[in-house]
This record gives sequence, C-alpha cells and structure tokens, in this order.
Amino acid sequence: MSANNDVLLHVDNLVMHFPIYRGVFQRQVGAVHAVDGVSFDVKRGETLGLVGESGCGKSTTGRTILQLYKATAGKVLFDGADLMSLKREEMRWMRRQMQMIFQDPYASLNPRMTVADIVGEPLMVHNAATGKEIQERVAHLLELVNLSPSFAGRYPHEFSGGQRQRIGVARALALQPSFIVCDEPISALDVSIQAQVVNLLEELQEQFNLTYLFIAHDLSMVRHISKRVAVMYLGVIVELAERDELYSQPLHPYTQALLSAVPIPDPLADARRKRVILEGDVPSPVNPPSGCRFRTRCPIADKICAETRPEFRQLKPGHFVACHFAERFLQ
Amino acid sequence: MLTYIIRRLLLVPLLLFGVTVLIFAMLQFLTPVERSALYVRDIPKNENAIAGIIKQYGLDRPLYEQYWRWLVGRVDGITGERKGGIMFGDFGYSRTASQPVVDLIRNRFPNTLDLTIWAVAPVILVGIWLGVQAAVHQNGFIDQAARMFSIVGTSFPTFVFGLLMLMLFYANLQWFPPGRISDWANQVVFTDDFRHYTNLLTFDSLLNGRLDIFWDALRHMLMPILTLSYLSWATFLRVTRSSMLETLRMEYVTTARAKGLPERDVIFKHAQPNAMIPVVTLAGFSVVSLLGGVVITETVFNYPGIGQAAANAAAQLDVITVLGFALFNGFILIVSNLVVDVLYAVVDPRVRLS
Repeated sequence: MSANNDVLLHVDNLVMHFPIYRGVFQRQVGAVHAVDGVSFDVKRGETLGLVGESGCGKSTTGRTILQLYKATAGKVLFDGADLMSLKREEMRWMRRQMQMIFQDPYASLNPRMTVADIVGEPLMVHNAATGKEIQERVAHLLELVNLSPSFAGRYPHEFSGGQRQRIGVARALALQPSFIVCDEPISALDVSIQAQVVNLLEELQEQFNLTYLFIAHDLSMVRHISKRVAVMYLGVIVELAERDELYSQPLHPYTQALLSAVPIPDPLADARRKRVILEGDVPSPVNPPSGCRFRTRCPIADKICAETRPEFRQLKPGHFVACHFAERFLQ
Repeated sequence: MLTYIIRRLLLVPLLLFGVTVLIFAMLQFLTPVERSALYVRDIPKNENAIAGIIKQYGLDRPLYEQYWRWLVGRVDGITGERKGGIMFGDFGYSRTASQPVVDLIRNRFPNTLDLTIWAVAPVILVGIWLGVQAAVHQNGFIDQAARMFSIVGTSFPTFVFGLLMLMLFYANLQWFPPGRISDWANQVVFTDDFRHYTNLLTFDSLLNGRLDIFWDALRHMLMPILTLSYLSWATFLRVTRSSMLETLRMEYVTTARAKGLPERDVIFKHAQPNAMIPVVTLAGFSVVSLLGGVVITETVFNYPGIGQAAANAAAQLDVITVLGFALFNGFILIVSNLVVDVLYAVVDPRVRLS
C-alpha cells in the first residue's frame, strides 16, 4: 500500500440499485439505478467536491460509501480496508474513523435527546470516554463549533438551523474521525449562515487534518471549498479534475452547461458569455438511456453515444472525463 | 415539567364541575313526577303521596337550588345529619342492587380493575413490542401476521366475539367456567386467613401465596380478558407499526447508525421512544373504548364488575345507579386524561418545555 499511501478512500465501480417491488407477490419489476458504476479516489487531507442535480445519486454515493446502504456491487477501500467485506461489528468500530454531516439539520437530530446526549452518545457507545470525561469532551466540542457549553442541556428544537447544523458538526467530530462525508451540509441554511458553517468546516479541516467528501449542488460553494471536483449525472461521474482546471476548461458538455448557468456578478461579462441551455428533463433512473447517460440532452450527441457507454478516461493528467468527443474541447 | 403537571392538575376541578353539570342536565329530561316515581314501588293509594315526595325532595325547586342540593346535600334540621350530596360521597341508593351506589361501586370496581389490568398490561408490554418488530422486519412473518390480525380484530364487534367465545369454550368445549371464581375458592377468600391487601383477587391470591386461587381466578377471567383486549391488540399493533415505520425513515435514525450505534440501540433508544407519541394518544382513547367494552364483556360473561352492574341498572330504569356510574366513569376519564398528558410530557420534550 506504500504507493497509495496518500489515498484515504478508494471507490471502485460502486453500484447501488434500489429494487422496485410490485404486485400481489411482490415480484421485483425493476430497480432505481441510483449509482451506476462510480470510481474515484479521495486523498488524505483534501476536499473532494461532488456536484450534480438533485436526484443524480450524489447523496446515495456518500451513504453507500459509509455502508448506510448495502451496495449492489463495487468496492470501497478505506485506509486499505475493504469496507464491504467487514462484519457488522467490525464496521461499527470502523465508524469511529468516518462520519457524516447531514443535509437537513432539522431532521437529523433526535428531538428527544439533549445536545449533550446527541454529541456525547458516540463517545459512550465506542467507549471513548466515560462519566465526567464525556461532559468535558462535549463542552470542548461545543466550543469548537462556536456554541456555548451552557447549551448542553437543551433540546434541538430550541436552536436555529445554523446552530443545529453546528451541533451536527460537533457530533460528527466527537470521535475524532479522519474522514467526513458532508452531505449538502449548507443547502438547508440561510445564505448568511452558509458562509459561517463552511468557514467552520474549513477551520476544522486545517486543525484536525480532516478529509472531506463534500456533496453539494451549489457550484460556487464547491469551487470555494474543494481541491478537486467530480461532476455526477444520473448515477455516473462524467468528469473529475482539479478545481481550477475543471472550472476553467470543462471537457464534458454537461459540466459546460452547468458552469454556464452559474450567475456572474458582472452584467457585461454575463451578457458576453455563451449560455448552454439543456433541453428536456433528466431521464428516469429506473430506465436510464443506453450508452452515454447524457446523450438525450447533449448538444453534440451522435450515433456512437447511444451504442457504447463512454469510458471514464484520463485526458490530461488528473483530468478524467466520460465523453466520446471530449477531445474537441481540448485546447 | 412540574409547572406543566400543576397546570394540568388545576384543570381537574373545572372538568369535574363540567361533568356534574352535564349529568345533572341529563337528569332534567325527566319530569319531577317521573323522578319521584324512582322512589315508589307500587301505585300509591294516597293521591297526594307523589306530591309529598316532590315537595320533600325539593324536585319543584329552581334548577340551581336542586343542583346545589344534589352537590352538597342538605342538613337535617332536627338531627343535624347531612343527607345526600355527591361531594360527600353520597350518590344515592341503588334500587337494583339494594345498597348505596357508593358501596356498589366499591364492591364491583376492584373486579373490573382486576380484569382491565390483565387485559391492558400484556397489550402494552407485548403488543407494542410486536408492533415494533413488525415495522423493523417490514413484510416479514410477524408483520404479515400482525397486519392480518389487526384487520380481523378491528372489524370484529366485541359482542359477537364474546358470544362466539362463550359458545365455543364454555358451552361446547367447557374449558373455562363463567363467573368470577369457583365456589370452593370463594369460601377460602372470605375466611379470615385470606388477607385482602389490594382487593384485586388475582394480586391478593398471589400475595397470600395461594397459587390455586390465582389460577382459578385467571381461568374465569381468560375469556373476558381476550374479548376485552383483542381490539386493543389490533389497534395498538397497527398504530405502533405505522408510527415506527415512519420514524425509522427519519434522518436521525440514519444519524444514529452513522454514529456507530448497535442496531438494537438504534431501534429501541432512538426510533421507538419517538414512535411512542401517537401510541400515547391511542392509549388515552382506548380508556374510553375500554369503559364501553367492560359493560358488554362483563354482561356476556356474567362477570361481577361495574359494567355488569351498570347494564343491570340501565335495563331496570334505575336512574340513580346509572347516574352514579356515569359520574364515576367521568372521573376515571379525567384521571386517565391527566395521566396521558403527563406521559406526553415524558415522551416529548417539546411538550414539556413549551
């Protein structure tokens, strides 16, 4: 593993299909192809942004990596350990290393538990601390996310959205994990509070050398926080590159369309640029298109796109793309 | 929490007052002549006898005066003795039972309580657990069986089920005896050696170490218990299951899993307590249906509880006794609602703190 020592998480051809049952005998009549062959690496200490429209499978990817869903196929290596082959109890211990921050701070905190219980429970179940030590650790964690330790006895409904999300962050940090999946941690928050939480996440990353998988649909936010960015469409990753590379020279038509939709705060520049407007809707993940997933809405689609699924290939060092015609956009 | 309970407690006298007003108002549907007829067994020979009763008991006085007299009774001018007055525990004399209504309730209520405890406790202990299991293993065996049972259970009227049990197990198979207790056991119970700690026969027999009497009482009660509780089994199972299914889909349950909690803790510490909120509501409602079910069940199985006594009194137009039971039921409902409100606060911190 010496060659890959800087890779913390390796995801190989991950597939997650949710079966659909119908009829009297509940026969399986199909499946939602939520994630359909996703591969990427996350390096130690970096932030990998994962963007895409809602419903494209980015949250499912995050949850499947953390084994909150049982994957249909594929491989997840975390620090060299194959997570899918772990027994339940072994996986439970593995969770000390990998935590998750959820999208909805209103739904993800148990309304019957006090803040101290919510943040302290991971410590208790993993025997990481006992008795008074738990209280001290909880107080310390709350300070870390800029909340007063005097809030420990309160219940989640007594807090605002931003405060709740910071409780969620404190909870995720409790076991001092090395890897955190941030599943749209700011999209449920007011814009004024988004920056607060993002800055907090960045500070904590620096302080504890955390590795993030940052899932979002806000391209500007991803650009701000990520080192590398992966773009997802209908269950597959269509492009992955270093942040600046991806934003300055997108090679996939879908990425181009996404980026052209980001508003520019300069009316003159905005008027000059070319907008790529996509036609139609995202196809159903129950019955995805053959070949390239994006071909039904792609402005440059051709015959080959319906026949063969484009390979996810490296066109430039560190720049991967899944498009038959990506060379056209190389400069 | 304490202020919450005190606030609820302050409501109780107000509710009790409302109950008495309502019941007193119902009594006014009878004319003074009809009410005085309650005290007369034969057609009086003296024509003025009825008028005398009406005057003696003040049945022609204004309503508020009658109500006040009903509430606190009146002091006899000569002996200084207080007569009547529900506030002082005088609910009148039961013609059908030939004893004061209060004594009737005192004699009969422990039997009913005994029956309802045995009907309700297993539902709360096992029924809720089954509902949770059905939700956790959705579409599994327990789930399918529970769903089937709750459909049959909710659509089967109590009196049909009770008569069916009676026919099958009493008349045809003769597995279980009707009534409260066998004669030999009854003789033991009324000896001085048998101490009455709680007046609940099953508990007293256990406390006296008389397993044979306990078993005998239980044998008499088994069919009434089943009849009284199968509806509760069905509804509690269904409500717990659906509430639990909903809770299991909440994100904080996923959070609990992501924390690395064992699945047992995820279900019983995070999901179940939150799923209990609608179940507590149901528990409040089921007290009402239990009070109704007791009347039918006890009548069908000839079980000497308050339900049977109330049904007897109603059949013989014994208004005083029926009113006494109505008051008593109202009191039980108020108390059980209080308990449910407090339970709410225990289950849900949002109620406690608002």
